[in-house]
Amino acid sequence: MADGELLIRNGVVYDPINGVNGEKKDICIRDGKVVESVTNPKVIDAEGRVVMPGGVDIHAHIAGGKVNAGRIMRPEDERKGVEPKTKVCRAQSGYSVPNTFATGYRYARMGYTFVMEAAMPPLAARHTHEEMVDIPILDNAAMPLIDNNWMTMEYVKSGDTDLLAAYIAWMIKATKGYGVKVVNPGGTEAWGWAKNCDLNDAVPYFDVTPAEIIKGLAEATEKFEMPHSIHVHGNMLGHPGNYEMTKDTYDVVKGIKPYRDRPTMHATHTQFHSYGGTTWGNFESKAGAIADYINKNDHVSIDLGSVILGDTTTMTADGPMEYSLYQITGRKWTNHDVELETGTGITPFLYSGKVSVHTIQWAIGQELALLVKDPWKIALTTDHPNAGPFIGYPIIISHLMSKKRRDESAESMHKAIFDRAELPSVDREYDLNEIAIITRGMAAKTLGLHEHGKGHLGVGADADVAIYDMSPEEKDAGKIQKAFLNTKYTIKAGEIVVKDGEVVAAPPGRTIFVTPECDDKLMDEMLVTLKDKFAKYYSVTFNNYPVQDAYLPNPYEIKAPWRSS
Amino acid sequence: MQTITLKLKDAAMSGIAQVPVEVDALTPDKLFGKSEAELKAVKVWWGNKQEATGDLFDVSVAGDAGSADEVKIVMEGDLTRVKRIGDGMKAGEIEARGDVDMHCGAMMEGGKVVVEGNANCWAGREMRGGELVIEGDAEDNLCAMYRGEDKGMTGGKVTVNGNTGELVGQYMAGGEILIKGNVDRLAGLSMRGGKITIEGDAQWPGPDMIGGEIVVKGKTEMMPSFRPDGTESIEGAEYKKYLGDLAMGEKKAKGTLYVR
Repeated sequence: MADGELLIRNGVVYDPINGVNGEKKDICIRDGKVVESVTNPKVIDAEGRVVMPGGVDIHAHIAGGKVNAGRIMRPEDERKGVEPKTKVCRAQSGYSVPNTFATGYRYARMGYTFVMEAAMPPLAARHTHEEMVDIPILDNAAMPLIDNNWMTMEYVKSGDTDLLAAYIAWMIKATKGYGVKVVNPGGTEAWGWAKNCDLNDAVPYFDVTPAEIIKGLAEATEKFEMPHSIHVHGNMLGHPGNYEMTKDTYDVVKGIKPYRDRPTMHATHTQFHSYGGTTWGNFESKAGAIADYINKNDHVSIDLGSVILGDTTTMTADGPMEYSLYQITGRKWTNHDVELETGTGITPFLYSGKVSVHTIQWAIGQELALLVKDPWKIALTTDHPNAGPFIGYPIIISHLMSKKRRDESAESMHKAIFDRAELPSVDREYDLNEIAIITRGMAAKTLGLHEHGKGHLGVGADADVAIYDMSPEEKDAGKIQKAFLNTKYTIKAGEIVVKDGEVVAAPPGRTIFVTPECDDKLMDEMLVTLKDKFAKYYSVTFNNYPVQDAYLPNPYEIKAPWRSS
Repeated sequence: MQTITLKLKDAAMSGIAQVPVEVDALTPDKLFGKSEAELKAVKVWWGNKQEATGDLFDVSVAGDAGSADEVKIVMEGDLTRVKRIGDGMKAGEIEARGDVDMHCGAMMEGGKVVVEGNANCWAGREMRGGELVIEGDAEDNLCAMYRGEDKGMTGGKVTVNGNTGELVGQYMAGGEILIKGNVDRLAGLSMRGGKITIEGDAQWPGPDMIGGEIVVKGKTEMMPSFRPDGTESIEGAEYKKYLGDLAMGEKKAKGTLYVR
C-alpha cells in the first residue's frame, strides 16, 4: 500500500481523460488515491519530465494455459530473458513468453499498471487466475472465451437472447471474468471438423453463422450495464484479402445500442485483419480502407496488433489459424481442444524486415494508428506475444512520434513497403497527448475502467503514475524509445514501484472482475440446459466448475445490473 | 606468453554435497590485462552464491601477455564439478588437467580448450569457432543445441580421442567433429550442416538430418529412411554413400551419410 502521502511536483502532465494536455501541474496522492491536496508529503521532483497516468493494456496474453504451454514448448525463449533474483525481484526468464514475475516487472518499468488478459478458456480459468495472482504489481482482469461454446451457439440458433444473456452472466461469474471474448467465432469449433468458417458460413452441426454468433453475443452483452463491449477477434485472421470480411464483421453490430457511451464492438489486433491481395504473393495493406471505416463509424473501437520485428511466440484460441501458420514455417506447433468451449494453437514465428509480407504487416499496424483520425478509437497493442512482445511498445511509440524514424526503418526493410503499403507516404506524427490516449485513456474508457480509477489522474483516481525521463520537447526517436522502456518513476496505488528504471517494490496487484446481475427465473431456466450439458459432456461437474473466491486474494468487483429497457 | 594457473582448493569440494563451480568468467579474453589481485577478485558462481576466484582457487600467474591470444589458463585440482570451462571464450588457451563437468567449451568463439580427461554432457554446445580437444570420453549432447533451440554447433573444430554419448551434434549447422572412438545413439540428429567423422561404431546416425555429412568408419546400425547413392572413396577406402533423412520429405533430405 501507499507510503502515506506523495507529491509529484512540477511534472508536465498528460491526462487526456481529464483534458490535461502537457500542463505543468502537481499530483497529490494519499492512501493510494489522487487527492486535492496533501499536508506532509514525500516529494518527487518531476520538473521538466513527462507525467502520465499508469498505462492500461487492453489486450495481451500474459497468463493461463496457452501462455504456459508456450513457455513449456519454448525453453529457448525462456533462456533469452534470464535475470537473477534481487532483493526485491524474483528470478526472471523469457522474452516473448516471459514468466509471471518478469511480466509484472517489465510492464511496470514501462509505466503500465493494468493489463487485460485477452483470452481465458473458461475451463482453464483457475489456471489463469493463479498466474495473474503471481504477476506482481499489475492490476489484471481476464475475458472468458464464450463464442465457440456449444451453449452459446444453441441459444443463437434458437434466438433466445435473454437466455444467452443469462448464460453469459453465469459464465462471467463462474470464471471471475471481465467481459465477452470472441475468437474466430464458429471457426474454432469448425476446426474440430478440420474446417474453418467465413463470416457467413454455417458452423458444422450447429448450423449458425459467425455473423449470427457475433450479433447474438453483442445483443446479449448489452442486456447488462457491462463496462466493456464484446471483444472480437474476427474470422479469417491473417489471411490475404480478409479486409472486406473485417468491414462486414463491423457491420454486424451496427444499430445495436450500447448501454453507455462506448462502442458496441471492440475489434482487436486489427493489423491481422487489414489484408488485401489474394495470395501471399500479391499481399498488400488495406489499412486505409479499415481506417476509413473507423473514421466514418462510431460503433467500433480497435487496437493495433502492431508488429515488432524479431522472433516471437504466436498463441490464440484460433486453432485453424495457428495450423496455417505452422504449415508456412514448419516450426514446432501445438494444438489443444477445450471440451465444448474453445481451442488453442501455438507456434513460434519470426517477423523479418527482409520478407515482403512481414514488412507490409509491420507497416499496417502503424498505418492504422496514423490513418485513424481520432486516437480515442484506437489502443496501442502488439497482441502480445502474437505480433511481438509487449516489451516492444516503446519501439512503436518512437515510430508513431517520428516520421524520420519511420523513413529510416523503411529504408532498411523489404522494398515492398514502398509499393504495397501506405506508411512511407504518411506524414503524421503523434504528440505525447495522443500517445497518452492510445496507451492509457482510450483503453481505460473502452474497458469502462476510467470509472474505477484507471487511466487518469483526476481526484479519486487510483494513484498509478508513470514519470518518464524525457522532456516534452524531445524529438529524438531513440531517446523517446529509451524513456518509454524504463520510467524514471512508476507509482502503483501510491507506492513507488520503479525508480530509475529499476523495480524497487513489487506489491501484489488486484484482480478486477465483473458480476452481471441476472433475473433468477431466467437464470434457473438456463441452468436446466447447462446442467444437462455438464452431465452429458463436461469432464468436470457443475458444482466443481466455478472459480472460488480464494483464487482472487485481492478482488475488485464491478457490478453490471440488468438493463430495465 | 602468460600462464595463469588456477588450482581448485580441496575445501571447495569437501562438503557433503559437491557444489558446482561455474567458471565462464575465467577465460583468457576476460582475464587478459588483469593483475593478480584483480584476477583473484573476479566473481564466479559457486552454487547459488558468487565467490571470489581467489577464495575457491589457488592462483598463480607467470609471465606477461601482449594480447588475450598469449594467455594460457591451466586448471588443476578436482575439476569434476567445475562447469562451463571456456564457455564463450574468444581467444587464448585453456588446459584442464583432469575430468571436467558440463558445458565445457560451450558457445566458444575462438582459442583452444584441451581437456586432459573426460568431459561431461554438453561439451562444445552451440560452439561457433575455435578448437576443443577432449583426450578422454565425452558424454551426451556434445556440440548439440541447447533445449528448444534449432541450431547446434555452427563453427570450429572438436576432437574426442575416446567415446561419446548420445546426440552428438544435434542440430549441428557447421564446423567439424572428429571422434576416434565409438558414439552412442542418434549422432547428427536433425543435422543441418558441418561434418561428423566417427572412427569407431555408431548406432542410428543422422535421423531427421537435412544437410551436412557424417562418416562412420566402424560398424553402423542404420536408420531405415536413407537412400543408397552409390559408393565413394574417402582417404583410400571405399564407402557406401546414403542420402537422407527421407523422413523429412524427399526435397529436404539433403544430408549425406558414408558407411563402410
